[in-house]
Amino acid sequence: MKALFATAFAIGLLIAAPARTMAHEIPNAIVVQSFLKPDGQTLTFLVRVPLSAIRDVDVPQRGPGYLDLSRADDALRTGAIVWIAREVALYEEGRRLADPRLVAARASLPSDRSFQSYETARAHFADPRLPDDIDLYWEQGLLDIWLEYGIQSDQSRLAINPGLRPLAQRVTIGLQLLFPDGRERAFQLHDDPGLVQLDPRWHQAAADFVRSGFNHILDGIDHLLFLLCLVIPIRRMRTLIAVITSFTVAHSVTLIASAYDLAPGALWFPPLVETLIATSIVYMALENIVGARVVRRWVITFAFGLVHGFGFSFALRDTLQFAGSHLLTALLSFNVGVELGQLLVLVIVVPALNLMFRYVVAERMGTIILSALVAHTAWHWMTDRGAQLLQFPWPAFDLLFVLSLVRWAMVMLALAAAVWVGRLLVRSLRQGAKPRAEAEV
Amino acid sequence: MRKRNALIGAILVIGFGLLAATDRVLQQRVEAQGGGTVRAPRFEVDPFWPKPLPNHWILGSAIGVWVDERDHVWIIHRSSATLDNNEKAAELKNAECCAGAPPVLEFDANGTLVQSWGGPGQGYEWPQSNHGIFLDHKGNVWIGGNGAGDSHILKFTRNGKFLAQYGKAGVHKGKGPTNAEGVSTFAGDSNDQQNFGRVAKIFVDPRDNEAYVADGYLNKRVAVLDADTGKMKRYWGAYGNKPDDRNAGPYDPNAPPAQQFRNPVHCADVSVDNLVYVCDRVNDRLQVFTKDGKFVKESFIMKQTKASGSVWDVAFSRDPKQTYIFVLDGMNNRVHILLRDSLELLTSFGDGGRQPGQFFGVHSVAIDSKGNLYTTETWEGKRLQKFVFRGIGTVPRQQGTIRPGT
Repeated sequence: MKALFATAFAIGLLIAAPARTMAHEIPNAIVVQSFLKPDGQTLTFLVRVPLSAIRDVDVPQRGPGYLDLSRADDALRTGAIVWIAREVALYEEGRRLADPRLVAARASLPSDRSFQSYETARAHFADPRLPDDIDLYWEQGLLDIWLEYGIQSDQSRLAINPGLRPLAQRVTIGLQLLFPDGRERAFQLHDDPGLVQLDPRWHQAAADFVRSGFNHILDGIDHLLFLLCLVIPIRRMRTLIAVITSFTVAHSVTLIASAYDLAPGALWFPPLVETLIATSIVYMALENIVGARVVRRWVITFAFGLVHGFGFSFALRDTLQFAGSHLLTALLSFNVGVELGQLLVLVIVVPALNLMFRYVVAERMGTIILSALVAHTAWHWMTDRGAQLLQFPWPAFDLLFVLSLVRWAMVMLALAAAVWVGRLLVRSLRQGAKPRAEAEV
Repeated sequence: MRKRNALIGAILVIGFGLLAATDRVLQQRVEAQGGGTVRAPRFEVDPFWPKPLPNHWILGSAIGVWVDERDHVWIIHRSSATLDNNEKAAELKNAECCAGAPPVLEFDANGTLVQSWGGPGQGYEWPQSNHGIFLDHKGNVWIGGNGAGDSHILKFTRNGKFLAQYGKAGVHKGKGPTNAEGVSTFAGDSNDQQNFGRVAKIFVDPRDNEAYVADGYLNKRVAVLDADTGKMKRYWGAYGNKPDDRNAGPYDPNAPPAQQFRNPVHCADVSVDNLVYVCDRVNDRLQVFTKDGKFVKESFIMKQTKASGSVWDVAFSRDPKQTYIFVLDGMNNRVHILLRDSLELLTSFGDGGRQPGQFFGVHSVAIDSKGNLYTTETWEGKRLQKFVFRGIGTVPRQQGTIRPGT
């Protein structure tokens, strides 16, 4: 009976609420904080949204525009239903959940920090309400909402389509998913992200990241130019495979290292990498022009591949949150996507180059002209990006700096020693294997 | 081949040994430099923050900064009033660039300008020379003023709608002599409970809904108001004394500590453990009080500094205990980092200059939820800078211009 009354009351409010006419301007940008916690057959969804985003609801005011809290409850509940409960679409194993139950809606001060964790956010709903006489300018308040959805099981895979784009011109949604076993996963969604799998299966994550890698290489003009420089003088399949494999292995190493937080986090690092990427293109183009030997090109390609891998990692940084528990799968899939993109480029570029060198321009001249054009473009990138890099102050040449150089030199020497010992071991194993092979013959 | 391998192996071993020995010697040298290093918060300047302003806008003397709950950075500056004609050629219709930006600017965490407002309007008296900005726990914006006749405080919504004015402009006119520059005919009245004397900064303590006013360039006190009504609840001077407006003369570093604040009283910020940190700028000292004005302790910083003094503004570190306190020093152009409980000076960074990480008249400081620092510069500095927090680490006692981290 109570539930029936509450439902009837809510429907009444919705009917009574004015249509979505502009009551005040759409905010430029807002941040929505939220928590999702499945527990048994209930999915709790706690949301905090700025009141300024709740438009077309008659929020009772007093004085110069202070929230009249003694009369605000109905408006807050209406805002919660119209702007949040109706808009957010949640899915359990691909099936959209039925409309939620509004457990509570309350106003909070902008300085309130209870939404820093699920526990404090939920406890906040039991806190005393703000005093009726508080002078809180209504647009500066926060609306806290507690919704509950019925679900089949707390082990189900969930997905969300936030649908909060109408709240502001730019919407950032911080979402934290709390699994029954205590694991937590944080997302930062922007504007209208579409359907987001909150706990994707490995093949869903893989497919997403293959697509992402494929798109990235095709969108990344600097990576494409590097690739072009690589293949202009070497269009034989065997050499090409060695070079491309070298590039792939190298960028995979640094991409994965970055994803596991092994790359420097300093502000100067991204501009350094971007400058080095441009430098790598200039170098390759100049090497083509002077007609350097390309037999050992895989070595320098490996070195530059390490740099490009860091570049890929910058592009991937914001999307790794969608990998769920399949971080490595996602990284490898991204690499696969990059490779597929590269293959597509090669399939188009290599025959095109062959045709051009056969019918349009002699190979040597064509190589020089193409490489010069690429070098020109990359030179500008290099100087522009280098200028950005130079904005960062140089390290002071003091004892601390020398000490850090010495320690880096020790690390490099240790690595060099390890490589050298490894080579010796391989060589001795080969020599040990030779007589047996000869004996078999 | 075996000989060659032995030679390479020997070179590697000897090389590693030499480097290890060098490392040890250098480590000893560093430690021997009179406690040359210390563990303290480390920062890295972000030379690309904020993003360029639109409309050919530039900043005037930037004399206030605060960070709100959303990590949006708010500044207040003096715009065209402090711009040379060559800086505001667009305003004078001499060229396309530049023009003074509106006084109040809000930047998002990425450094993009998201809102601007400020200036004279209906129902309130905009300060002759705005000074200090603060966003309280209800999202309201507080602004002071240190112009000759500024004896009031303004409160706006975050979108610039006027909410309240506490005190009236120009009430102390004619009571005192002209100052050394011949500019002011106003005199302080640090016992006036209705008006203020050229307010430098306001800090609202959410726990008691009280506003702490650094009052100021004319008065010599900290005043505490009810943040809703503006009613003055209490006030005090240096060491908790009753404030006395008599001119104490220029600061003498070798004289006994002055028993009154000198002008300006430049900050009054409240810590998590309910202590009020007051910037007695020209006296080169930070005085600490309880919330009811009882003196607790003080610390002098670069005590030989004369003229505009060494203690301009403070910010507390964002750990729950607010372990560190950042003290801005606009004369020596440094940020001093102190342990808050002992007021021991750990390290300083910054130096005079116009490159990223350097300062000219560094005036105000604020901190965001991630521990990043934001500074504004007055005089001809006219700049807002961001220093990215890089965790606690080993740094030299004197860092000079901040260096890139790893």
